[in-house]
Amino acid sequence: MSHEILEQNDDLITINMGPHHPSTHGVLRLVIQTDGEMVKTCKPEIGYLHRSIEKIGENLEWYQFVPYTDRVDYVCSMNANLAYALGVEALLNTKPETAVEIPLRADCIRVLFAELNRISSHLVGVGAASMDMGAYTPFLHGITQREFINDIFEKTCGARLTYNYICIGGVMRDLHEGAEAEIRAFLDQLEPAMHSFNSLITTNTIFRGRYAGVAPVSREMAIAYGLVGPNLRASGVDWDLRRDRPYGLYPKLKFAVPVGGAYGGSKGVLGDCYDRYIVRLLEIVESIKICRQVLDMIPPPAEKADDPIGGYRVDVTKKLRTPPKGGLYTRVENPRGETGYYLVSDGTKMPYRLKIRTGSFTSLSLFETLVPGLMVADVVALIGSLDIVLPEVDR
Amino acid sequence: MNFGPVQQSIAASLASWGVPHSGSELAALLILLLIPFGVAFSIAGVAQYFERKVSAVVSRRFGPSTAGGEGILRLVVNLAFFFLPAATRARLEKTVANLPGVKQILFVVSYLGLGQIVADGVKMFTKEDILPRDADRVLFRGATYILLLASFVALVAMPISQNFYLSDFSVAALYVSAVTGVGVVGLLMAGWGSNNKYSLLGGVRAVAQIVSYEIPIALTIAAVAMWSGTLSLHGMIAAQYHPGFLSFLGWNLFQSPFFLILSVVYYTAGLAECNRTPFDFSESEQELIGGVGTEYSGLRWGLIFIAEYTDMILVGGIFASLFLGGYQSPLGEQWIVALPPAWEALVHGAIFCVKFLASIGVMMWLRWTLPRFRIDQVMRLAWVRLIPLSLICLFLLAASMLWFGHDGQVAQVIHGRFVSSLVVRPEGWQTASVWGVTILVVAVLVVLAKKFGDPKPMPEDVRKALVGGEG
Repeated sequence: MSHEILEQNDDLITINMGPHHPSTHGVLRLVIQTDGEMVKTCKPEIGYLHRSIEKIGENLEWYQFVPYTDRVDYVCSMNANLAYALGVEALLNTKPETAVEIPLRADCIRVLFAELNRISSHLVGVGAASMDMGAYTPFLHGITQREFINDIFEKTCGARLTYNYICIGGVMRDLHEGAEAEIRAFLDQLEPAMHSFNSLITTNTIFRGRYAGVAPVSREMAIAYGLVGPNLRASGVDWDLRRDRPYGLYPKLKFAVPVGGAYGGSKGVLGDCYDRYIVRLLEIVESIKICRQVLDMIPPPAEKADDPIGGYRVDVTKKLRTPPKGGLYTRVENPRGETGYYLVSDGTKMPYRLKIRTGSFTSLSLFETLVPGLMVADVVALIGSLDIVLPEVDR
Repeated sequence: MNFGPVQQSIAASLASWGVPHSGSELAALLILLLIPFGVAFSIAGVAQYFERKVSAVVSRRFGPSTAGGEGILRLVVNLAFFFLPAATRARLEKTVANLPGVKQILFVVSYLGLGQIVADGVKMFTKEDILPRDADRVLFRGATYILLLASFVALVAMPISQNFYLSDFSVAALYVSAVTGVGVVGLLMAGWGSNNKYSLLGGVRAVAQIVSYEIPIALTIAAVAMWSGTLSLHGMIAAQYHPGFLSFLGWNLFQSPFFLILSVVYYTAGLAECNRTPFDFSESEQELIGGVGTEYSGLRWGLIFIAEYTDMILVGGIFASLFLGGYQSPLGEQWIVALPPAWEALVHGAIFCVKFLASIGVMMWLRWTLPRFRIDQVMRLAWVRLIPLSLICLFLLAASMLWFGHDGQVAQVIHGRFVSSLVVRPEGWQTASVWGVTILVVAVLVVLAKKFGDPKPMPEDVRKALVGGEG
């Protein structure tokens, strides 16, 4: 197989990294040619997880597609739900007859859960990145914290991975009894836990030696390749949709946008693996702040008498049968960067066209230029630091 | 070669049963060789259990606690009564499980996770031994034996106690480092013979790494040999004897500051020798899937695994012999020496076990805490850091001995013609001055490194956000 992809060269070893490889984070296949430890060429092969989700979406009613968005990026399903829900709501809002107004409580829950899921996604990202460097324990520390978030989500929506919770018009259910106190308690213990995580691995000399200065992506290159999210910010581009193109509750919230700054000491270069890793950790800190602010402003649940569905959802089923005609693109800042939904409606109950734009796909396009010249172990470091989730690439 | 008294007594009793003299010596040696095999095999199992528990403690989880007692019971009953029909065996199993006390025992067994050892052993013995297509049959199969042999024959020289040991010969320290070096051939054979590119890369990495790290190890052994005037491990331990109650004061570790540095060098290089994290390059799971062991399965993989654990025991044992007084007790050694030989052997053997187990424990602790180096960083560490450091220490140690001793005697020490009892060592104020000067130099170096070390430290606010207030 590999011979079809790469030119034959007798001096080089052709190695198939993946699709079954411990650290390609799913079913990614990299065909690399190495001269000993040095990689000379690299060709990523994708498509092993293609489920034609976009085509399925064109054959489902608008609200039926929400569970499929979970499967686009299962590490941060809440954010994926949110992106689609915001897209359809924006489509409905283009005509005054079908406009929807989301209750404040629903908006608060959406942002709260989106940020909690961002924390859990980044925990998986940095944990897996450290595991790729051979340190198994930090990964477990990250996963332990993620379990608490999963527990909170499970109590509210009943699922631990694919939540199907944020829906068009609000959220599926109200927060469970005592959720606010639980989330506060979780955030209070998360901060010291992250400090111990960072003193265990982030400031470790070996780890920094492995990540600092490896595979740097310059500012221009990051923009040219269409990098998004933490990977873009790590290259020094100060761009966050939550702040620069705000949606939902975000205009009312105060938070910083961490950008890369060659944190890796004397060997560090702007936009190297270490910067990408550090930006994710700093985003966890900011997400904790956002969650605390949202918890302070969340309104109490509405009385049943004056609101039949409790102030967390508005009924949009009738409006979705005859949505306005036209197409629009909505984008949302997800843990893996900008996730955009291009929705085209022909006025029927099903979308005419549905296109998803994800962050991992563009990150993957970097490999062909970035990998040659690295060592085999650095390829693994690069995959880990870009935090690729393969179902998001293939869809 | 001078064999231990145990072997001689075995040989004598064999001879009294009519075995010819030349054969009885050999037979006694073979019988004795079974001991390290048995010890290593069982220690590999225990160490694996130990490793799981250490990893669980380090990563704050429960570890192997669910391996069921019921499964073990079923296995034992099925194996012991294999001749009975299956239905009878099932009934028997139920009866045994309902016996008074059995439930409690099974609970304890599964609570401690002891079943995991048994389950692993059974799995290893019963899995298929796969020979990959196009693999080099001879190299692929032979590699495991060479790896195992290289680790096991070195165990012969382990100084377990003063009166009970397998063999004592004048070049034991040299022998151990030479014999373990043969393991490299096994790794290379496994890497080439598997017909797998990951294995090949793993094998080449392992060879580059182990060959480099043998140099600091050899230099460290040379330093200790120079100090105690002998290459025999028993001689080195005997030279560390201190008659007072605080007998640990005689250990090499506390003799000279250069030994303190050399012990760190030896331990680091030893980690690299037995392919443990942060130097686990022959395996490096995240990059090379399984490294040299990728294509091995079943018991053959288990043999590689046992060889690795035996290497750990070896490094721990040699480390203890070189720097921690070997089998000697840290306190009140003079009373243990005076015990009857059998008791002495028992106490000293136990102390030796504790020492190398502690060393293995630290290895496991590091394994579950540290990430892995990159191969070029590892080579740099060996050639740019450890080898110059051990050379400097060796030179300064010799200089301090020369300075404080009679030069004629030191010349003899360097030529290796000296007996341990006559070694010249700095005493009193001389020792203090060596320690003082070294500590001063190290302190100055540390201050300089802090001042000019990292020209671009992490910004204070970022550091604070990541690791909290005090860092």
